[in-house]
Amino acid sequence: MKNQNTQKNNFYDEYLNDKNKPRRLFLSAYNYFFKQSPSKKKLLAKVRDSVIKTMGVTFRVYDNNKLIDREWPLDLIPRILKEKEWIEVKSGLEQRIKAINLFIHDVYHKQKFLNQNPILKSLILESPNYLKECSGVVPKNKIWANISGTDLIKDHRGKFYVLEDNLRVPSGVAYMLENRNVMKKVVTDLFNKYKVSPIDDYTSQLYTCLSNASYINGNKNIVILSPGIFNSAYFEHAYLAQQMGIDLVEAADLFLSKDNFVYMKTINGKKKVDVIYRRVNDNYLDPKVWIKDSSLGVSGIIKSWKEKKVAIVNAPGSGVADDKAVYAFVPKMIEYYLGEKPKLKQVKTYLCAFEKDMKYVLENIHKLVLKPVNESGGYGILIGPQATKKELKEYKLKIISNPRNFVAQPLIKLSTTPTLINTSIQPRHIDLRPFILSGNKTFVTNGGLTRVALKKGSIIVNSSQGGGSKDTWVVS
Amino acid sequence: MLSSIAEKIYWLSRYIERIENTSRLINVNSDLLLDIPHDESNDLKHLIKITGHIKDFKKKNTKENVFTFLIEDENNPSSIKYSIEMAKMNSRYLLTMLPKSAWEQFNNLYSDFNNNDKKNSEDLYQIIRNSQRFFAIISDGMQRNDVFNFIKLGRFIERADMLSRIIEDQILRKETYVNKYYQNLQWSSVLKSINGYESFKTLNKQNLNQEIVLNFMIMESLFPRSIKYCVDKLDEVQKYLPKSVQIKKTTKKLLDGFSKQNIYKNDKKILKQLDNFQLGLIMLDKEISQRFFLTDS
Repeated sequence: MKNQNTQKNNFYDEYLNDKNKPRRLFLSAYNYFFKQSPSKKKLLAKVRDSVIKTMGVTFRVYDNNKLIDREWPLDLIPRILKEKEWIEVKSGLEQRIKAINLFIHDVYHKQKFLNQNPILKSLILESPNYLKECSGVVPKNKIWANISGTDLIKDHRGKFYVLEDNLRVPSGVAYMLENRNVMKKVVTDLFNKYKVSPIDDYTSQLYTCLSNASYINGNKNIVILSPGIFNSAYFEHAYLAQQMGIDLVEAADLFLSKDNFVYMKTINGKKKVDVIYRRVNDNYLDPKVWIKDSSLGVSGIIKSWKEKKVAIVNAPGSGVADDKAVYAFVPKMIEYYLGEKPKLKQVKTYLCAFEKDMKYVLENIHKLVLKPVNESGGYGILIGPQATKKELKEYKLKIISNPRNFVAQPLIKLSTTPTLINTSIQPRHIDLRPFILSGNKTFVTNGGLTRVALKKGSIIVNSSQGGGSKDTWVVS
Repeated sequence: MLSSIAEKIYWLSRYIERIENTSRLINVNSDLLLDIPHDESNDLKHLIKITGHIKDFKKKNTKENVFTFLIEDENNPSSIKYSIEMAKMNSRYLLTMLPKSAWEQFNNLYSDFNNNDKKNSEDLYQIIRNSQRFFAIISDGMQRNDVFNFIKLGRFIERADMLSRIIEDQILRKETYVNKYYQNLQWSSVLKSINGYESFKTLNKQNLNQEIVLNFMIMESLFPRSIKYCVDKLDEVQKYLPKSVQIKKTTKKLLDGFSKQNIYKNDKKILKQLDNFQLGLIMLDKEISQRFFLTDS
């Protein structure tokens, strides 16, 4: 078997050291995969495919006006993390999400932090993610982002960095859970060789977290609000509802009573809803408040929420901290609200709204990654080192004409892990999305969803764009 | 259970039952054609009449065109293809409502149908087997909960409806046969189409005629594809549904006219009664929809 990993690259490979030898912890997994014959590898992939098919793990894509269920792409070579390292990351994530929640609450109340950072303040007040209608609301425990997914990457030295905080409707957790179930079935022998921390209590933790968000005590009716079957994450919505034993509803299932309580329509008549785990974006939630012709929302629901007659999770408006300009301030927030030093590193971010930063960005644009502040999903991004002179020039003009709209970051060399590509094993770039639940206590998943860019050299990990996933093993 | 989910389950069940019934209908009639000389009527357009969309059929009246229209025409709301797509659409909402094995079986049904381009009668048997398997998994291994109840409701309303249409069609059609012998052949083919030939024979050893066949198809309470059996099942399932007094009343009334003396010999009377029955089913469907699916305060 020829080792496909022989070419030394400039990236940190999580399995192999500089001399291309497996790191100690990875030896069993390395041997398990690298020493298999091509036909055995094929067989493993076949077993995996049939397990995934039988379990019905799919994601939806809309192709040529047709709704297609694709089988979820899982790479069998696990992502392995040391427990010791993970405990540190975990406490860093807890710290970060605490500060972010305090920040969101502050934004919608006294704006103390913003007043100390006038440029940020002006950026926020102009941001479409800042929803003035949410001012003055006090969600239970003052928690706005009850459920978040933070994207982490490792740099060329193998150190974790926070790349992005997803505070609106982060998805992927069902796939994290199902990846584990598939792995247990397909690579059982290997699984048994490691002491892998379990992850399957997530849905009961999620239920507790949702329950904690309720304004009422005792029995409560918790539902998941989905945009519907056309949503790419519908599988996850249905999966979570089933695992928690709660109803999966769409807007048409809900209505408001005259006194502004939310009810759902059942075959036994109306039933009051106490907590809504919404997987619908803010703008679509209430046609009376935001997008007027939204059929994904419930008319009047924001009023009901403001009167504390229903809890909405995550709270509307929490996306304000998703903003890329806000990201740059998170270390400062941690110091401001918690009086602590940030435990997790994050990528240095230049805000073109600051004159000094803009000057640096214009001079070094060929080394940087440029991002518009209010876009997501990779839109409008320029990767300096890969751009043509013309593209750089045009982008500079864009920055100059609206500096506030842009941030820049150095290009991080994402770490790689060996990945099964047909019958060969090749290094591919990965990231990691752990999920954090904030309720009466904070809960962080053991590991998270590792996403892998299956195309050679690519750093695009999204499943809709040819990305795959790996099971993440936190091992002691 | 959410009203919207109940509605989707009800329709999923109706569509799968419809897929099976339509397949049976086509298969039996195409077999029958082999037995009937060409100078007797081999017009199959009446099949489209049974399923109710005769106005949409604009092609030349050939066997192939009729079958294509009934099996594969996506624009014909009574085609198998259409029902399968509608069932699929409804099923997408029900990911977590059906037992896993039922869900997998439905996916088999769907992909088997869509894998074959040109449909022959073996494909139709496959559809019948697949839908039978689907319902077998439900009957055999599913929790008797609301989901189960709405599956049953949809299934037996659909079956009763199709049965009454088949009978109606056969009565209207028998005039086209000059030779009486073919009328009896026709009734035996109808019995086969509902899987009832053998059961019928064990109960009635004498020759077939309309009266005893209809008596069997309508009132034989122990045969699962008789109208009475379907209505009994509808009555039974309502015990478990909340507040369904009106629906129960309507169900009880469905069979009223069928027990009149000599009704099975008199074409005019039985046709009138079948008409009433179908109106009764429409009423029942409406009441179910109003009671369970449209609740909003």
